[in-house]
Amino acid sequence: MSTEPDSAAEGIDWRSEASNVEMSRRDQLSELYEQKIRVPAAVAWSDSRTRLGLLIISVYLFMALVDVLGLWRDPSPNQAERFLGPFENMQYPLGTTNSGVDLLALIIDSTPFILLMVLAGGVWATTLAVAVGTLSGYKGGTVDTVITAISDFFMAIPGLPLVIVLAIALSPENPILLGVVLTINYWAGLGRSIRSQVLSIREASYVEASRTMGTSTPRIITKDVLPNIMPYVMVNFVLAARYTIFAAVGLYFIGVLPYSGQNWGVTLSNAYYQGGLFSMQALHWLLVPIIAIVGLAFGLILLSQGMDRIFNPRVRTRLTGESESVTEDTDTSTTEMI
Amino acid sequence: MNYYLKRTAQIPLTILAVATLTFGLIRLLPGGPFTQLRLELLQQGVPAEQVDTRIEALQNIRPDAPLWQQYLDYLIGVAQLDLGQSISLNEPVIDVLARSLPWTVFLVVTSTILMFVVGVVIGALQAYWEGSRFDRLTSGGSIFLMSVPYYIFAVIFLFILAFQLQLFPTGNAVDRGVDASLSLAYFSSVLHHAALPILAFTISGIGSTALNMRGNGIQVLGKEYVEVARLRGLSNNRIATRYVARNAILPMYTGLLLLIGFRLGGTVVLEEIFSYPGLGYYMIQAVNANDYPLMMGCFLVITVTLVVGVYIADLTYGLIDPRISAGDSDEY
Amino acid sequence: MATDSSSSVSDRIVSRGTVEDPIFEITETSVTYDDGETCVLEDVTVSIDRHEILGIVGESGSGKSMFASALLDAIPDPGVLSGDIRYHPPDGPPVDLLELTDEERRQFRWEEVSMVFQGAMSSFNPTMKIGAHFEETLKAHDKHVSEGLEFARELLENLYLEPERVLDAYPHELSGGMQQRALIALSMVLDPAVLVMDEPTAALDLLMQRSILTLLDRLQRTYDLTIVFITHDLPLVASLADRMAIIYAFQFAEIGPRDEIIGNAAHPYTRALLNATPNVDAPLDEMQPIEGEGPAPVSVPSGCRFEPRCPLATEECRTTDPPLAAVDRDRTSHRSACHHPATAREEIRLNFDEANDELESASPVEPSESAVETRAEQTSETPLLSLDDVAVHFTEEQGLTERFTKDPTVVRAVDGVSLDIHEQDLVCLLGESGCGKTTLGKTLIGLQRPTDGSIEYRGQDIWEAKDGDGEIPYDEIRSALQIIHQDPGSALNPNRRIADILSESLRHTHPNIGRNERRRRMHSLLERIGMAPADEFLDRYPHQLSGGEKQRVALARALLMNPDAILADEAISAVDVSLRIEIMDLMLELQSEFETSFLFVSHDLSNARYFAEHGDGRIAVMYLGEIVEIGSAERLIHDPRHPYTEVLRWATPDLELDSMGAGDPPLREVDVPDPIDPPSGCRFHTRCPVAREACREQRPNLRRIDEGDGKAACFREDPNHEYWDSDPLDGAVEQPEEFAGD
Repeated sequence: MSTEPDSAAEGIDWRSEASNVEMSRRDQLSELYEQKIRVPAAVAWSDSRTRLGLLIISVYLFMALVDVLGLWRDPSPNQAERFLGPFENMQYPLGTTNSGVDLLALIIDSTPFILLMVLAGGVWATTLAVAVGTLSGYKGGTVDTVITAISDFFMAIPGLPLVIVLAIALSPENPILLGVVLTINYWAGLGRSIRSQVLSIREASYVEASRTMGTSTPRIITKDVLPNIMPYVMVNFVLAARYTIFAAVGLYFIGVLPYSGQNWGVTLSNAYYQGGLFSMQALHWLLVPIIAIVGLAFGLILLSQGMDRIFNPRVRTRLTGESESVTEDTDTSTTEMI
Repeated sequence: MNYYLKRTAQIPLTILAVATLTFGLIRLLPGGPFTQLRLELLQQGVPAEQVDTRIEALQNIRPDAPLWQQYLDYLIGVAQLDLGQSISLNEPVIDVLARSLPWTVFLVVTSTILMFVVGVVIGALQAYWEGSRFDRLTSGGSIFLMSVPYYIFAVIFLFILAFQLQLFPTGNAVDRGVDASLSLAYFSSVLHHAALPILAFTISGIGSTALNMRGNGIQVLGKEYVEVARLRGLSNNRIATRYVARNAILPMYTGLLLLIGFRLGGTVVLEEIFSYPGLGYYMIQAVNANDYPLMMGCFLVITVTLVVGVYIADLTYGLIDPRISAGDSDEY
Repeated sequence: MATDSSSSVSDRIVSRGTVEDPIFEITETSVTYDDGETCVLEDVTVSIDRHEILGIVGESGSGKSMFASALLDAIPDPGVLSGDIRYHPPDGPPVDLLELTDEERRQFRWEEVSMVFQGAMSSFNPTMKIGAHFEETLKAHDKHVSEGLEFARELLENLYLEPERVLDAYPHELSGGMQQRALIALSMVLDPAVLVMDEPTAALDLLMQRSILTLLDRLQRTYDLTIVFITHDLPLVASLADRMAIIYAFQFAEIGPRDEIIGNAAHPYTRALLNATPNVDAPLDEMQPIEGEGPAPVSVPSGCRFEPRCPLATEECRTTDPPLAAVDRDRTSHRSACHHPATAREEIRLNFDEANDELESASPVEPSESAVETRAEQTSETPLLSLDDVAVHFTEEQGLTERFTKDPTVVRAVDGVSLDIHEQDLVCLLGESGCGKTTLGKTLIGLQRPTDGSIEYRGQDIWEAKDGDGEIPYDEIRSALQIIHQDPGSALNPNRRIADILSESLRHTHPNIGRNERRRRMHSLLERIGMAPADEFLDRYPHQLSGGEKQRVALARALLMNPDAILADEAISAVDVSLRIEIMDLMLELQSEFETSFLFVSHDLSNARYFAEHGDGRIAVMYLGEIVEIGSAERLIHDPRHPYTEVLRWATPDLELDSMGAGDPPLREVDVPDPIDPPSGCRFHTRCPVAREACREQRPNLRRIDEGDGKAACFREDPNHEYWDSDPLDGAVEQPEEFAGD
């Protein structure tokens, strides 16, 4: 019952009038670096799967760089002996095709194209899904009904046949456009599951508390909703990227996508249809593009396996050596045990 | 019960929307729907003034009519199962589709069921032996399987088992000369031809199914009702099936709906590789021959198949999850 | 922690023999994890008598659930159970639990000893009907299924359930209280001798808890059961138990006959626990929180386990672990693990004893001019918040086709409520779960739009202001009305540090201040609410805080908005009992400091009373969306007018020994009717013990009561009402006066 005097610390009480001491630019930047870059990086690196995934992805980035800087020869017919096996001649470490094209050059040459396409597909599918899912989940009402109906419709169309028809209509040769076309209806299913997650977050007490404080809807979405679905979004970004590359190579392989230069899918197709199937001599021709595709997908999936940890505050505090509240630790461990 | 009613009412609506989309897409194609046909007819020596009438007779659409008229004609055609005449095969599109649809459904259904069963069993075992060597090895294997697309398996199987070892045929759904009948020879021939495509399509999906099942299984194993069931002295068998498996599979069922879509779309590549005469194979043939009526017919039927497949999956979902028929977990 | 003092060893041996016909003899039993590194139950020696109800009380994480699991030899992996647990079946030789073969153990569980867990919802397989659970259990134990189901029906009926309906339902189709009772029936279907119950009612509200306890009492007598009832809620189990035991830090701290433990406890922890319990009878200023928290299994003190928190600790307590020994030489049934039981009894006075003394000496309460009344009359000015005939109806989600095929189902959460909240007022909304108290609270602070009626803030309609035409800007109203949620776990965004969470409020109240100043403000407030070191707390994430600390942060977040009113929605029910008073005190202190009003939502009369009486406020009792009685806490406790208030009063456990176990609930039905289709007339008539024909037809209004403050909505307040001439309803008391005198 006693109203004791405020234990005003350091001169400023929580109710005193506002002063005008601004935070310095430098402080803000260093805080931003700490929160957004250093800590997430440390968390990501701590997981062995993420580490391996990052390593694999950086090999592909390196190949792309090599091509952009022109450090390796461009592929062209008869630049070497035909059907050279891998490691037979270190000038052409992965061997050559039936027309004497350097396989390594073929792979490197199309790496930037593939990476751009994969990135475009992943970004397009996840961004659209997050936008649509968040909007329809958080807003509800008519917006929700309309969006749900539209995504229901898109979910009812099988992806590849639609892409084939669109590819004929649009002839997408630009990697970014191609990535978008390939994931043209991928967002629908993802958006649906993001919607249901947002629906449950919307009911969380802390969101209601923010609403009660009069916090604006965009701020609630960016501060309260999005961070909590980020792990899920990141994992699905990688899965969408994987889908993009699988779809692209598959369609190149059966020859329904337009192309100007060769790429992994076209190489695979050539190897398959131009004799790779019948002789062991051309086995490497078939295997090299396969390894390129599987390697990229493998790296992406490894990355996704560790991805959700970046956004988990529990992992974060454990790894940056912050004091973990002892009571909470025992609380959880005992409830698990008891 | 209202749930089923609602779901059933959605079907014709979705099909109407898909048909509309198909109609629109045809007009997006380079040169419009009839260029190729007109060219062919002219080459066959049909007089120029009769070409439009011939097209109308073949495709059920009057090229000179206004768009809405064409649209109505198209819808009426779809409703009467008249999808026009295939240019390259010179027979009604619907005949080709009727011939190829069963093969595609056979491939997708068999491989999806196989994939689901094998994946669920592996994932369940992993969950039971969480942290064991088996678990770690299988998890690694699953991640690897997830990074190999099904057509790579197809190519590798075809290369080794069909071309090099000659154990399996390299194309077709059944040996020439074996007639469709209820004979053993027919069935074994069908299985022989379908074995590789099904195998390739199954293996590539096992990884993610197993990983999913593992996660769900571990979660369900930690639930109190499993503990209570053990205390009540139920047999391990009953707990594993009625308690763990059932509750762990349920959340995967909604994912299965999406999966059917991906797999049905995937048949385009799969059937092309194995020259397996399903919808996907004919669709690619049509693309290569600029046979638009056949192509769009394939597209329409693949989509309708998906709609029906998802519908069936939805209905069975209501059977295994009692909460849905109460209507309170519609889509959450 | 072996027993080393020689005198107490003999004491213990003597005390072993206190139980005449033991059904369980537990000797030196421990549960360890990590190869013996972590001990979550340590050297427990205790006996359980045949046909007794043993109540075991402990805080969360004290090892009480481990004890429950040990009785079925069902320690969760990878825990190791060691020691000796001997079970004496009704006929036949005793069995040693730890020596049973797998098959023997399988049969032992559920046939001899069965268990009821806390969460009934999580104890049933969600994809199986309730009936199937019964059947499979009978089959698994080779029992005759149809005979067993017949018995199950009998059990369900005894638990006030409709057997056919329940057996044919899926778990999610039943309410929490129904599920819990169905689970009790399931645990008894094989007619076991012992029922172990681990917090079986914790998830339910008070009235349902007490109703279940009454039913349990009856079941125990009908079926000759031995019940081990484990809970954190001391007063609750006190009304049921024959003997009681207190577990503290993985050992028994005290055990004895119920009356001894309540009236003559010898352990400082037990006495502190008794004093910390909000209690309708205790004088308010005597209630004392217990400082600190119980030790974790890895850091158990080497001496007496309670020593760090004990006000009476001596050097001996620091060095020697006291054994569980008889308190008084001549009565071995009461044992306590304390070196100084006599001092404890002397130094720590039990506050409810004094209450009894006071009650006897004081003249009967004369509820006349209460503070509430005067305040309401003084403030002729506009109230802070004013509800006028407010209704909130929820239409359940429906699909497109359903909209055509059937009428929408409407849940009437709040119906026709008028209520004024004044500046610096304090109102407690009290009622069972589902009575609409939270919805009403949220309507009051403008979070829920009423479907009918109006809500005004200082004379300005809130929803008109939101739509843009009001004199007071909506932003101002919005920040003036704040909320503290029930579940501290989800009240704070798990992805943001405490500093970020609190800054959010400051962004609204002081948009232009710099980061350092912001931090200093938060710092000073955290220190004020007892979270030191504040700097460290500011940099933590919510998962690094305990439940009580999270709730304090939520309070700080609300306070930083400088609100005029705060809705505390069951804000303390998720906090450990020993901390509740502390947090309530803090809220009350800050109320006067911040000059804010409080709306306190609760299902627990004793908490509401503590709040209302300390803060000089009112309690509004809600039933099925309506306020049925409102008045000062004193008047409501000592002179309840509405039969429902009386029921709530009955449901509130007290520690008065004379009134314990006082019979059946004053209710005709255990379950609340469906709010989709509320009863006609007075909504309480289906359960009311004194309902008459008139109640079924007419709806009573809130009317000012004679000889007391506040209002009540019951015909019995009107001496001239036709109620008095109409016939009692089926099952109701003939002579209401008898009931009133009860």
